[in-house]
Amino acid sequence: MNAEMSAITVNRLCKNFGRKQVLKGLDFSVPLNTIAGFLGPNGAGKTTTMRMLLGLIPGIDGEITMLGQTMPGGRTIALEEIGAVVENPAFIESMSAYENLYWFGSLYKPLTDQRIFEVIEMVGLKEAARQRFGTFSTGMKQRLGVAFGILHRPKLLILDEPTSGMDPAGRVHMREILTRIHDEEKTSIFLSSHLLDEVQRLCNYVVIIDNGRCVKQGYVSELLSGHSEKWEIRVVDEDAAKTRELLAAMHEAVIDINQGPRGLVISLQTGKSAEVNSGLIKAGVRVVALIPLEASLEETFIKLTGNGVSVGGGA
Amino acid sequence: MRRMLFLILFELKKILNRKKALLFLLALNIVPLVASLALIVAYVKFKGFGFGEVQFSVLHEIVKGLFTAHFKLFAFIAPFFLALVVGDSFSTELSRGYMKMLLLTPVRRWQVITAKTLAIMLFLLLAVCLGGFFLQADLLVARSLTQASGVLPANALPDALNIDISKPLYLVSTSSAFQLLVLTFVGNLMLIGFFIVFALFFESAILMSFTSLSALMGVHTFYLIASSLLNKIDVWYESAAKWCFTRHLDELFSVNTIETILENRGNLLTDNIFTAWQSSLGWAVLFYAIAVLLFSRRQILH
Repeated sequence: MNAEMSAITVNRLCKNFGRKQVLKGLDFSVPLNTIAGFLGPNGAGKTTTMRMLLGLIPGIDGEITMLGQTMPGGRTIALEEIGAVVENPAFIESMSAYENLYWFGSLYKPLTDQRIFEVIEMVGLKEAARQRFGTFSTGMKQRLGVAFGILHRPKLLILDEPTSGMDPAGRVHMREILTRIHDEEKTSIFLSSHLLDEVQRLCNYVVIIDNGRCVKQGYVSELLSGHSEKWEIRVVDEDAAKTRELLAAMHEAVIDINQGPRGLVISLQTGKSAEVNSGLIKAGVRVVALIPLEASLEETFIKLTGNGVSVGGGA
Repeated sequence: MRRMLFLILFELKKILNRKKALLFLLALNIVPLVASLALIVAYVKFKGFGFGEVQFSVLHEIVKGLFTAHFKLFAFIAPFFLALVVGDSFSTELSRGYMKMLLLTPVRRWQVITAKTLAIMLFLLLAVCLGGFFLQADLLVARSLTQASGVLPANALPDALNIDISKPLYLVSTSSAFQLLVLTFVGNLMLIGFFIVFALFFESAILMSFTSLSALMGVHTFYLIASSLLNKIDVWYESAAKWCFTRHLDELFSVNTIETILENRGNLLTDNIFTAWQSSLGWAVLFYAIAVLLFSRRQILH
């Protein structure tokens, strides 16, 4: 095993369901020690890819390598170091959270009670440890799914839409849990989602697929650099017209000016915000607020996947 | 290996967790349950009619008859419940996503099938032993009842009248019990294999049970009607029928076979019993192989 071993490498992966070609030669790789987001419109093949990674769909046309093991031959060895939940976690309704973790988790390796309770506490289900799984809310189910994924201290955690069906507070909580897992247990995370702001806040690496092919992959910071930034400028009402004129004059920094609901929305070259701001203030414009609109990944995404219509899904 | 053992325990726990399991145990043991009641009623009635003391040998005959009936009934109704249990373990788990969770862990697919089969067998063993122990307890009660009754204290008279020495106190000898277990094991293994193959095509346990049982009865009816006609045409059909799937189920669980073994008149190696369980084992292996092949190609999409 070399030091630059990647967590997941996929080469020329194809998959047909009947006549419909879902994956058309998918290639991507995810480095270790990242929180990677797997993005794509509904029907792009995200869940299918995950199922193939984990061997739920046998018969691989292409190459899949995870943690240095080639699928499907090395599946059992690789899965010992991988925790995964695909779609909604389906534990046994009549058993408690603790029992479910004990029985399912022990199939990875022998577990101590201490570890089970540590994990339960980590995902914030301490009070519900003895509660039947059937009585859990959607958010609790998802969190128990994550708990199941990290029980055996895997090197890689694979999650399929971990925040689907959760309320905003639940999503924030889930993000905190995942960040904590990444920091404390040194676990690489590979998660699929179509919630772009979430991926942008959580992930440092993204793989974007559309129509069964990978259209972009890389570190989020690299992906966004060189791209325009969006800012909303709010000024005192009397200065509005003057601001527009001033901005229109700053050709080298301002790309585009639009009227937003409560102010002007401008696209700037990356890193030019301070310059624009000081220019306005020097000219005597009373700037009330300069708000960054972090929609960059969304823009990239829509630009890459071609149409904005299919993005909306669960957003 | 440790993982496999754990998987078997997990499957057994899942089976016992279901409410159906209790129903299953009760229904399969209806004969022993009724038997203990009948025994006491018979004893009291006989006494009430003024027949005097009932000899142990009479009660022994009753219990023994019930034991054979228990085995026969067990063989007859076990398939119906087995179909449901297999349906729950496969169809229901596939549709509810338990199977998905199971296959996310580093277990292999053949291990899942093997573990589930063994867990169901263990459960069945529990069910059949429960009834057996119940009847054995009946016999011991019968003996103590007949011993303790009488105007005089039991030890005051030589009670050769009460206790028929020629009747053994235990229903089965160890070797017959073992042989019956082997037969039950092989016969049910074949049935479980048959049901698993069906269960992999259905995602509803009820639908799967209905279809597989219909198929089973269809094959059996065909065998019953056709075999007697066909062997008139050519003796070859007779030998072919010997290896027929349902014929051996029939032979394995027939009262004849059970009585032969119980009364030590024959054993597993006696000709017709031997071919019966040998070919059943063959069928079981075939079904198991088909099930593993189907399951390892199955896409888990729930």
